[in-house]
Amino acid sequence: MREITYLEAVREAMTQIMRENPDVYIMGEDIGVYGGAFGVTRGMVEEFGPERVRDTPISEAALAGAAVGSALTGMRPIVEIQFSDFITIAADQLVNQAAKIRYMYGGKGKVPMVVRTPGGSGTGAAAQHSQSLEAWMAHIPGLKVVQPSTAYDAKGLLRAAVEDDNPVIFYEHKLLYRTKGHVPEEPYTIPLGQADIKRPGKDVTVVATSIMVHKALEAAKILEQEGIDAEVVDPRTLVPLDEETIVNSVKKTGRLVVVHEAVKRGGFGGEIASLVAESEAFDYLDAPIQRLGGLPVPIPCNPELERRVVPQVEDIVAAVKKTIVKR
Amino acid sequence: MAKPVIMPKLGMTMETGTIIRWFKEEGEPVKAGEVLFEVMTDKINIEVESYETGILLKRYYEAEAVVPVNHVIAYIGEAGEQVPERPPEDAPSGEAGETKTASLSEGRPAEEPPAEGTPAEEGDSGGGKVRATPAARRLARERGVPLEQIRGSGERGRIHLADVEAYLEEHAVRATPLARKAAEAEGIDLRTVTGSGVHGKIMKQDVEAARAPAAPSAADEKMVKLEGMRKIIARRMSESAFTAPHVTLSTEADMTRVIELRESLLPIVEQQTGYRLSYTEVIVKAAAMCLRRHPQMRVQLQGEYIRYVQDVHVGLAIALEQGLIVPVIRHADQKGLAELTRECKTLASLARENKLTPDQITGGTFTVSNLGMYAVDMFTPIINQPESAILGVGRIAEKAVGLGGQIVLRPMITLSLSFDHRVIDGAPAAAFLTDLKRMLENPYELLI
Amino acid sequence: MAKEIREIKAIIERLNLTPERLLALYRQMWVIRYFDEKVDECFAKGLIHGTTHLAVGQEATAAGACAVLEERDKITSTHRGHGHCIAKGADTGRMMAELFGRETGYCKGKGGSMHIADVEKGNLGANGIVGGGIPIAVGSALTSKMKGLGYVTISFFGDGATNEGAFHESLNMASIWKLPVVFFCENNQYGMSGSVKKMTNVEKLSIRAVAYGMPGVTIDGNDIFEVMDATDEAVKRARAGEGPTFIEAVTYRYKGHSKSDAKKYRTREEEMEWRNNFDPIDRFSRRLIELGCADNAKLEELRQSALEEIEAAVKFAEESPQPSFDTVLEDVYA
Repeated sequence: MREITYLEAVREAMTQIMRENPDVYIMGEDIGVYGGAFGVTRGMVEEFGPERVRDTPISEAALAGAAVGSALTGMRPIVEIQFSDFITIAADQLVNQAAKIRYMYGGKGKVPMVVRTPGGSGTGAAAQHSQSLEAWMAHIPGLKVVQPSTAYDAKGLLRAAVEDDNPVIFYEHKLLYRTKGHVPEEPYTIPLGQADIKRPGKDVTVVATSIMVHKALEAAKILEQEGIDAEVVDPRTLVPLDEETIVNSVKKTGRLVVVHEAVKRGGFGGEIASLVAESEAFDYLDAPIQRLGGLPVPIPCNPELERRVVPQVEDIVAAVKKTIVKR
Repeated sequence: MAKPVIMPKLGMTMETGTIIRWFKEEGEPVKAGEVLFEVMTDKINIEVESYETGILLKRYYEAEAVVPVNHVIAYIGEAGEQVPERPPEDAPSGEAGETKTASLSEGRPAEEPPAEGTPAEEGDSGGGKVRATPAARRLARERGVPLEQIRGSGERGRIHLADVEAYLEEHAVRATPLARKAAEAEGIDLRTVTGSGVHGKIMKQDVEAARAPAAPSAADEKMVKLEGMRKIIARRMSESAFTAPHVTLSTEADMTRVIELRESLLPIVEQQTGYRLSYTEVIVKAAAMCLRRHPQMRVQLQGEYIRYVQDVHVGLAIALEQGLIVPVIRHADQKGLAELTRECKTLASLARENKLTPDQITGGTFTVSNLGMYAVDMFTPIINQPESAILGVGRIAEKAVGLGGQIVLRPMITLSLSFDHRVIDGAPAAAFLTDLKRMLENPYELLI
Repeated sequence: MAKEIREIKAIIERLNLTPERLLALYRQMWVIRYFDEKVDECFAKGLIHGTTHLAVGQEATAAGACAVLEERDKITSTHRGHGHCIAKGADTGRMMAELFGRETGYCKGKGGSMHIADVEKGNLGANGIVGGGIPIAVGSALTSKMKGLGYVTISFFGDGATNEGAFHESLNMASIWKLPVVFFCENNQYGMSGSVKKMTNVEKLSIRAVAYGMPGVTIDGNDIFEVMDATDEAVKRARAGEGPTFIEAVTYRYKGHSKSDAKKYRTREEEMEWRNNFDPIDRFSRRLIELGCADNAKLEELRQSALEEIEAAVKFAEESPQPSFDTVLEDVYA
């Protein structure tokens, strides 16, 4: 099977579904001839034309709102918000409109739109261009939130997101765009709400999202040398969350480490840790749950500082070891 | 209303009984008068009949469980009736009761884990003060392990799952500390050793025995389960032997005069009682009278106290096919030889028919064990707890003895007195034995 | 500024308005008025929960603008949108039931006054966020254009919304893409308490259209004929692919912003001035008589009919069942 990058996988998912379904189109800033700030849409305007690969003014509110109105009237727009930090400007349309329309209208109307946006730090883009705000979106009933960590997952999940009749926020990660993976050429769907055990193990469960999946896997290799067998669970979708897979994993291992890049305080890791503590897995916990997340600071520009304010491989290794008690 | 089945009090001093086996399963119908279960007390096994008719709804304890007297052990009622999940407790502690025969050589009372089917109380497994992970608590709860006994290797002494698992592993094999040390020294796996102690506890000598190369077992060797009376005897003998430091004094007595006495009394006693007077009765009487005169031989260790027993009840060891039993002749010092004869023979007969009641085998002050019908002279009898001394009687054999500077042949009997050196010292024991020898050599003293 | 009768007749001819149509519109205006007045009354009686925003006095903009729409055309509305809803063909009984929180309401009792919608009939919903519906209207127009469906979307909003960022983004976007949308601003002089004179620095809001490269016009929002005329022109432009239009309809709301408004920001005199001199229903009735479409008796009959409809709506609402708690988790996701 050929290897392509995460970025190419996203593009391929959009391209394939746009070829099948004329109701699907993409809107965003600089996605046309420019090819998108990160190059995701490169080549697409040439295939689909400027109507379906539509450059917009710098108007996140109107952009998101137009997607809402368009979805409400029969289309399936994909919106690219250039940096996930800008979701703040689009937030009213996503939170107060898209998420709530179906419920407020008593089941009439639906908003089948996807907002794709890259989050995360590591490029030196500093405080306003490096955030991970998925916990905000996960908090809103009516939205679905997806966070793929690999090229393979990205392609399958984006297709599922577009096919879903609900507003889906699709969080990509800037540093993952260039990562490669084996991706089938044909279109395929990975259902939303299904976690993936990226590495089975028996000693400790590490639940990780997005780029932290990769760091967790590296940490697992290091831990393996010391005889610790870590199971890395990638939820892939935050809302709806595959609680069953996570709970069963913790029942098996008795130890849990949750890691995400987003700030630890109020981050989605708290949700995962709590639901495990509330579940039947509680009686199998043999150590306190460990949570790793970013420090409560805006992302600094200096590269070393930037690196240190989010969890790294060594932090994951240390957290796992804290859960293991030597007799 | 379901009726409770109670652990019966089968003897005056009985405080706990061990369930040997049930004759009915849960759900089976029971009729009043049918044998329901078998109980072992300190002395004997008793088959207990049901007082009720109905369905055996619930059995709270299984074989090997030690239950205090008067505790509910089961319920009989109509099918489908609700009965409590757990037995209603009378005793303050949640444990199912400890046996009194503690093995003191290890310095701690023998601990009985709750019988299968009885979940440990919540309080046993944790309380609020013990730090333990949920997984550790769950395992401890399931296996009835008291968390206070486990050393935690986690942060701030937190008990983790592995700590509970290790504890269970260690305690899966019941062995005395001495035995464990011995096993470790010898490199013997305790799981391969059969224990001869209380409830199969491994004692040091078991480890030592395991050291010896096993004899090649023939294909037709018989294997009989250690149970019933044999098991009781095994337990009681080892308890006695390993609890009380035994010292055995022996002496020989000239039985010439006793032989004469017996000959003359034989027809009279037979006429009175229908039984033949034997040497045993004479020895019992003599021993009883000596006991009357030697209060120091009439002691019993009870916890921190030494009890000076007033009455002289002499037990007589009777050999049975399946083992050994000791019926007691009460107030032996006050009975004449005729009465003693009648009683001894009657008791022996009852013993052989397994018809002795618990009261007939308890309350002894002293025991006499006669192996004189065999070619045995001196032996080291084991004290019949809770007594503190036992007299072993050998055969009467013609032996050459020195008398007045000459060697003569006299019918000599060897008397072996074992005493518990915790409460009886050598001198008083020797004094008693000396007295007894003299009394047998001068049996007229029996009249005094 | 009152028009000459001949101008009115010209409008009537241009828009093909029959007397039946005009009388129906007249009745509709009363329905709109009585609906909001009845809501006010029910609210005072404690029959309606929460809050509500009444547009008594603004009947002409709602009735007039929607009068020129085809059934396939769509609207987005505001928190003060009962009138738009009625004008777009909603059933007043189901509307009232929604305000009463009953399961027979348009939104099964879950939306309330500010979120009434009838998507199938082209009412894409009232909106609790000021300016929230404007980008949605743009999206609706985008669908129409991309799929060549030929329908027009009217986005209703107030003077206050013209200061929201979303308003400006939306007008710009609609303009660059020439979307078939009509931006209809009901300038009733006040946001909540903020007078438009204080909160904007322009004489007429319609000048904002220039900034985005679209035609803008200020009209008398209480003259139903003028409303119809201007809207019709804008709708035709849009349908012809010429892009959006901005209409500023000057009107007035008699009641406060919401129930808890003591109206300290304006004077009684100002209110009475508008009521007595510029009332839209009043003016329409005089026109109708002038045009010979009806006499007083007929008009009275229509008014009475409207009142009865509203009274029936209230009765329907009152008798409707409350939604069961079992439904509370439904319809979060499609």
